[in-house]
Amino acid sequence: MSIKELSLREERFTSGHRLCAGCGATIVVRQVLMATEKPVVVCCPTGCLEVSTTIYPSTAWGVPYIHNAFENAAATLSGAESAYRVLMRRGKIDKKDIRFAVFGGDGGTYDIGLQALSGVLERGHRLVYVCYDNQAYMNCLSTSCLIMTENGLKRITEVKEGDKIHAFDQKTHQLVLRRCTGVFDNGIREVYEVETLHHSIKATANHPFLVLKRNGRGRRNTFVWKTLAEIKVGDEVVVLKNLHGGKPFKFNFRKTEKGDYKVNRVNEINIPEYSSPDLMKYLGIYVGDGWVRTEKKETGFALPKNSKARKTLVNLHSKIFGSKIRSDDAYVYVDSVNLARFIGCLGFGQGAKNKKIPGWVFTLPKEEKENFVRGLMLSDGYKIGGSFRYVSASGELLRTLRLLLQTTGFRVGKIHWQKKKKGIENKYFDTEKIKNIRLAGCEPTLDLRVEDEHNFIADGIVVHNTGIQRSSATPLGAWTTTSPVGKVIPGKTQNRKDLTACVAAHNIPYVAQASPSHWRDLVTKAEKAFNAQGPAFLNILAPCPRGWRYPTNQTIRMARLAVETCFWPLYEVENGNWRLTHKPREKKPLVEWLKPQGRFKHLFKPENQHVIEEFQTKVDEDWNSLLKRCQIE
Amino acid sequence: MAKITGKIVAITGNAAVAQGMRQINPDVVAAYPITPQTDIAEEFATFVADGLVDTEYIAVESEHSAMSACLGAAAAGARVMTATSSQGLALMWEILYIASGMRFPIVMTNVNRCLSAPINIHCDHSDSMGARDSGWIQIYSESAQEAYDNIIQAVRIGEDEKVRLPVMVNMDGFIVSHSIERVELLEDESVKNFVGEYKPSFSLLDVEHPVTFGPFDGLGGFYFEHKLAQIEAMERSREVILRIGREFGALSGREYGFFEKYRLDDAEVAVIVLNSAAGTSKHTVDMMRREGHPVGVLKLRIFRPFPTRELCEALRHLRAVAVLDRATSPGTTGPLFGEVKAALYDLGKRPLVVNFIYGLGGREFKPEHIRCAFEALLEISKKGKVEKPLDYLGLKEVEVIS
Repeated sequence: MSIKELSLREERFTSGHRLCAGCGATIVVRQVLMATEKPVVVCCPTGCLEVSTTIYPSTAWGVPYIHNAFENAAATLSGAESAYRVLMRRGKIDKKDIRFAVFGGDGGTYDIGLQALSGVLERGHRLVYVCYDNQAYMNCLSTSCLIMTENGLKRITEVKEGDKIHAFDQKTHQLVLRRCTGVFDNGIREVYEVETLHHSIKATANHPFLVLKRNGRGRRNTFVWKTLAEIKVGDEVVVLKNLHGGKPFKFNFRKTEKGDYKVNRVNEINIPEYSSPDLMKYLGIYVGDGWVRTEKKETGFALPKNSKARKTLVNLHSKIFGSKIRSDDAYVYVDSVNLARFIGCLGFGQGAKNKKIPGWVFTLPKEEKENFVRGLMLSDGYKIGGSFRYVSASGELLRTLRLLLQTTGFRVGKIHWQKKKKGIENKYFDTEKIKNIRLAGCEPTLDLRVEDEHNFIADGIVVHNTGIQRSSATPLGAWTTTSPVGKVIPGKTQNRKDLTACVAAHNIPYVAQASPSHWRDLVTKAEKAFNAQGPAFLNILAPCPRGWRYPTNQTIRMARLAVETCFWPLYEVENGNWRLTHKPREKKPLVEWLKPQGRFKHLFKPENQHVIEEFQTKVDEDWNSLLKRCQIE
Repeated sequence: MAKITGKIVAITGNAAVAQGMRQINPDVVAAYPITPQTDIAEEFATFVADGLVDTEYIAVESEHSAMSACLGAAAAGARVMTATSSQGLALMWEILYIASGMRFPIVMTNVNRCLSAPINIHCDHSDSMGARDSGWIQIYSESAQEAYDNIIQAVRIGEDEKVRLPVMVNMDGFIVSHSIERVELLEDESVKNFVGEYKPSFSLLDVEHPVTFGPFDGLGGFYFEHKLAQIEAMERSREVILRIGREFGALSGREYGFFEKYRLDDAEVAVIVLNSAAGTSKHTVDMMRREGHPVGVLKLRIFRPFPTRELCEALRHLRAVAVLDRATSPGTTGPLFGEVKAALYDLGKRPLVVNFIYGLGGREFKPEHIRCAFEALLEISKKGKVEKPLDYLGLKEVEVIS
């Protein structure tokens, strides 16, 4: 089995679900479902996977799916599997080779769901029970704030530890770049929307904002951090109005050339290496009225004959790209696979409703940004009196455009119109009065930690930095909200339950332990599980960035370290035969896996050294007894 | 339709229900044994073992899993049945609400038994009364015959397209479940024709048209609207229950409605009862009528949906009514009493109402007990007022040892 083969398989778990960035469970589900091409019926017990993937009326499941309650997924699916057998036997449904799979978290499997699982194993229903083991009862989801970073505008969910983020220097009031030292998921919380004249942001009640404190005549104004709950309508908060100068963007684009796989002929075209004012104007027109059909190798613009925009576009096209243009009364077309691919990969989005301004545009020099907006205005903008209006079907485009304009100084003129003494007067920052604060409902929330200044710019507003319960799968010493690290007790004081061995003791056809870091091993095991003539059980490690407290891009690394330290050995029990499916070349010390995880942080204090030692001993013992079971010397 | 008479047999209530289930031959049965329901599970398992039915029988490891497996099977488009009692029903609790919320027409026999503590395996109605708000249709049966008839009708009621709700058929533990009675069984073929084929609206097994069952419908969603749809289905079930009751009458000669009136129309005072106590009450009425007392009985068959309008019509001419509850709700009156009294409130001229709690934990309920109730009613009727709104029938005189 190769990645290429897997990539051709149908995705049965679609994007658009609301699980966290870096969630291990999603990777587990996708890898397992790829292991069979047979139709699969899925059941999830209550858990983060369940609540985040089936928010009525949407669903991320491309397969028949049922959720019943927390402790009974195995029993529920055993009912469906029995119905399948009897309805086939009675000829009430067409003959189909259907497989059944439960995806349960460790809470729904190790603890409350253990009885129903055991019952199903004993009764011998042909179903695959997958435990995505994230080692606690987790709750999480993601959010939509736009953050100003060195590399342009990013969704807060895309910000990674180590990224440079624009921040407000509290001494000099200048715009500075600071390193992000952590991304934290705060789960679903009540969120309020704060509106100023030109900005709006959604945040939790305890989120701090930088508020102007007017100290009266003759005295210098100062700034104080106030939480959202403390601020009132009329307070002035600090907002961003301009970014640094920026530089032209270098495109890393490789042209399709004659001689490439299956390419015999290519229309000549120049693709620029760097962004330029001309190119940005061209792209502005594209965002307003253009489309790309890569499969037809076509780039098109809905620009009527004799319009000013068409003239500009044709001129710019021959100047930048130097290729031929085809046109009729209403449209202009360019036939070039390279242009279609080039524009397609710039991140402007496809279709009128999904257009947006990608992050890199925010890093451009002022002139290029302005030209981009000019191009956009040429296509869809219009002038009313002294102001320009822009209409678009894409909310995301309007939102990003507003931020782009606000950081290109387009609003500077307007400040003069207000003729009011401002708290800050420099080219980067401004203050704006809060017009409205309202409850916006419950939404998933994230937070960033930023070095030194401890603030960042979200949706154009300066903001400050700002649960997980133990299960029987939680490892020794780990912090959770119900096994907190206190003055006396250093996290969870019990070892975890060896569920894989418990399940193997039911003598079912197939039991395995797997990890998404070893995908080939995992998919092979899932394949065996789906083909087993009876119950099969897969216990799969599913690292959780929120609960384990590590950055979201480290999920696979966390899974791999768990395997390499022998904390999570990869093995299978096929018809009673224990077999190690992966032996790490060198057994790493457990601390290598513990160290990057915030939930074990307290164990590195001198007084808790013994817990690590105890933990290491336990891992060694388990590893040795596993080797013995697998008859490895 | 011509009346098709079946076989007359002497069997227990549990056996009658098991026979009904055999004739229905459901796709899936998932059950866990509990006294006094055990015979149903056992007898049906024997039918499966002997090949009398080709049902898929899931011998689950708990009642919670029984109801869960029933729900999974129902989602897969199967006709599903189960049976339980008492603590078993209590363990199913959580899933009762999910079954009705997901609109699966699961049919369950509940053999009424009291709830612990103290532990006791005998009859009262605390189990089903506790489940009254779970969104299940509740049917009560006086005898083995009625339990058998109700279980067959329940399939049609629950599966009706206007309804799609689970149905719970109740009968008294031991008193009915373990007593041998004369039962008239229908022909296998006529039961098969009466219940027909179940056509589910959606199925988990329709892999070409995948459906998500049981999605998360949190804040900002449609939970309230979904509950309203369930309430409306329960309302629509009234008409369906009566229609199926008439159809069953045409088939068997035994027609069913919301309740049975016994010498009620010319009575001045009456008792309202559920299940087997109706037999004792009717017997006592006959005796007291001979003595010249204007007494009658109303035996309620359908508790959910509660037949408020029809009940008022049937009771409005009475001077006094005693509601007999075989369950309690500490801190208030019996559950049936509360509902009957609330129903009567809207009548301009209404009978006086009094509550008697009787038979908890299987305590014997004899003609002399019901006679006590009637005597109290006649007294109330004469005085025109209620002095003791709640009383107990059949309590032992206990010497308190301190």
